Amino acid sequence: MAAPRTSPTPAPAPATTGTGAGAGTTRRAVVVGGNRIPFARAGGPYAHSSNQDMLTAALEGLVARFGLAGERIGEVAAGAVLKHSRDFNLTRESVLGSALSPETPAYDVQMACATGMETVLGLSNKIRLGQIDSAVAGGVDSTSDAPIAVSEPLRRVLLDLSRAKTPQQRLKAVSRLRPAHLAPSAPTTGEPRTGLSMGEHQALTTAAWGITREAQDELAVASHHRLAAAYERGFFDDLMTPYRRLTRDANLRADTSVEKLAGLKPVFGKSLDAPATMTAGNSTPLSDGASTVLLASDEWAAERGLPVLATIVDAEPGAVDFVHGRDGLLMAGAHAVPRLLARNGLTLQDFDLYEIHEAFAGTVLCNLAAWEDEDFCRERLGLDKALGSVDRSRLNVTGSSLAAGHPFAATGGRIVATLAKLLAEKGPGSRGLISVCAAGGQAITMIMEAA
Amino acid sequence: MSTATGRSGATGRSGAADGSERAGGRVVELPATPGLAGLYGRGVVGSARAAVARRRSVRPGSLPGTRLRVSGVRPDPTHLSDYQHLLHEGASDVLPAGFVHVLAFPVATALMVRPDFPLPLLGMVHVANRVEQRRGLRLGEALDVEVHVRDLAAHRAGVTVDVVAEVSVDGERAWEGVSTYLVKGVRLDGAERPDGARDSFEVPVPTGQWRLGADAGRRYAAVSGDRNPIHTTTLAAKAFGFPRTIAHGMYTAARAIAAVGPARGEAYRWDVEFAKPVLLPSTVAVRVAPDDDGFGYAVWNPRKGTPHLTGSVTPLR
Repeated sequence: MAAPRTSPTPAPAPATTGTGAGAGTTRRAVVVGGNRIPFARAGGPYAHSSNQDMLTAALEGLVARFGLAGERIGEVAAGAVLKHSRDFNLTRESVLGSALSPETPAYDVQMACATGMETVLGLSNKIRLGQIDSAVAGGVDSTSDAPIAVSEPLRRVLLDLSRAKTPQQRLKAVSRLRPAHLAPSAPTTGEPRTGLSMGEHQALTTAAWGITREAQDELAVASHHRLAAAYERGFFDDLMTPYRRLTRDANLRADTSVEKLAGLKPVFGKSLDAPATMTAGNSTPLSDGASTVLLASDEWAAERGLPVLATIVDAEPGAVDFVHGRDGLLMAGAHAVPRLLARNGLTLQDFDLYEIHEAFAGTVLCNLAAWEDEDFCRERLGLDKALGSVDRSRLNVTGSSLAAGHPFAATGGRIVATLAKLLAEKGPGSRGLISVCAAGGQAITMIMEAA
Repeated sequence: MSTATGRSGATGRSGAADGSERAGGRVVELPATPGLAGLYGRGVVGSARAAVARRRSVRPGSLPGTRLRVSGVRPDPTHLSDYQHLLHEGASDVLPAGFVHVLAFPVATALMVRPDFPLPLLGMVHVANRVEQRRGLRLGEALDVEVHVRDLAAHRAGVTVDVVAEVSVDGERAWEGVSTYLVKGVRLDGAERPDGARDSFEVPVPTGQWRLGADAGRRYAAVSGDRNPIHTTTLAAKAFGFPRTIAHGMYTAARAIAAVGPARGEAYRWDVEFAKPVLLPSTVAVRVAPDDDGFGYAVWNPRKGTPHLTGSVTPLR
């Protein structure tokens, strides 16, 4: 394991790439380190832990690792996708429950599965602008402790009842109640505008790009094997704090194989003309977990003798019209990455490492296929030619969400901290690209460099 | 939820004269939007009368020229919100075209239950609908609704009639809807029945799906006032030959244009042809996607590959 370098470059240091990202006029925002709790499967060891419990646990681990007790951090931002309405100040409450100074401000962010990425993006920009010197980005999600709402008719009756002033008005409100209204409504992974689950959406895209079952299973197996290897070499020792007796991601199957995954039955895309290829093995499981990332200016880290692993160079969000079938739900990264590359004068091949969030194995493979496709790149991305292929030996080298699990808002923090450490290991000049897709047809893409 | 009766009412010109002449027929002014519950009662009576008469054919030209008119209809904001929420519409103060159809529907029904209307109301099948929304109608505008019937036509399964509703503001036509209804088993005198060939349906790639619950008919009945029992009770649906209740055609067509979203603009043409009804509950496959002139849509049974409805939304420039 490469020890992170503790001597930051003298500030202000312009980003080495990124002409359009305000380089030269702003200072660098660097990743000092990260901390997460192992990700659990839904209904597992964190079944009775709330989002606030888990976020606080991840934050406390970060505070302990970097000696931040009593420290007033510039700002903390985190979020959850499945969020109780009572958790309107989830992040601030977690800060108050941590050893950070209670004078540390905090805010909540929500951008579906890109929530964690958006916290890193927003906070790093504030650091670059000089508004804050330090920040903690993060995210948490629990599918076990998900909010359950009363049905829409019951909710309206209850609201009208609370507004009723006379007994007659109350009686009128209550008289609208029917037994069926008492059934609770739980959150789903369905897209509100299409009624299709994320898996069914991906199945359409997977079929459209002709991605095979074998290719998906191979990607899933690689994810498990690489995550297991990373654990074996102690890579996660300074990125993780055990929680509730869990010391590794519970979804990890180090001994899985293409043969084992081939035995699983398809779960998505079963009513399409194309053969169904998506199984529980090449799709992410519902998960519980939390992650945090410590961001800072070079000066702030130097003053405290803290390491700097990597720089947040630039980022580009994207979105697609999946509602009318123009693009697949999880294909926004395919559109955002070329814009990000162009602004920074880079090609798709100019990276040492790639982190593409494995919502489904098919998601990664469809995005790669799109960049390799001449027609798509010309007609949809407006490029002269295909972006080309990604060296698969550089992609998700310590595994990704298929193996680790995917507590929605926690995935961005996991990826940024992991890539920062990988870049620090590779040494100066190494460069990484991130793409994280999200519900609503969105994505956030990001370039990082070894600090 | 209340019925349509108590909601979007008219300001009501009391004592309106019954019988001003107009090109194409006598205009009968109603004081307010009629209540649909009572109209259905009259529809049942009228349909029973038609059944007793065992009317198996109608004469061309037997449609009444009467135009029914309600002036100054002002939609209720809560009614609009309920409609928009149920149909997954946007939340603007511009009335969705399907909502205007709901406002005009009681007037159309009132025309069809009059004794001079030659066809039975119950058992009519909505086979097609065409709407031209010439400009966006806004909440707060006073709408004049006028309805007439026209175009008796032979159909392979019976006879069809067009019910035309026109909505104007200050004398300017803003919305026109033509609903084509089929009465099965009735012949149009002197007309050959057209061939039974239907357009073939190629199952498209879906862009979404709708899970329609057993209560989908009752919920649309509550916002539309269209409480035709084939949509609300299984027993009535069985009486008309359906194993279960069926979704309102206009509910499904209105959800399709809601899925088009703001891209349709405020002025557009909205066409739909209904094929097999949607039995409730069911999950149907949906495609709503851009085509040459605007948007095309289709709703079908994903297991059988048979269409429920197809149509288009064409922005008017």
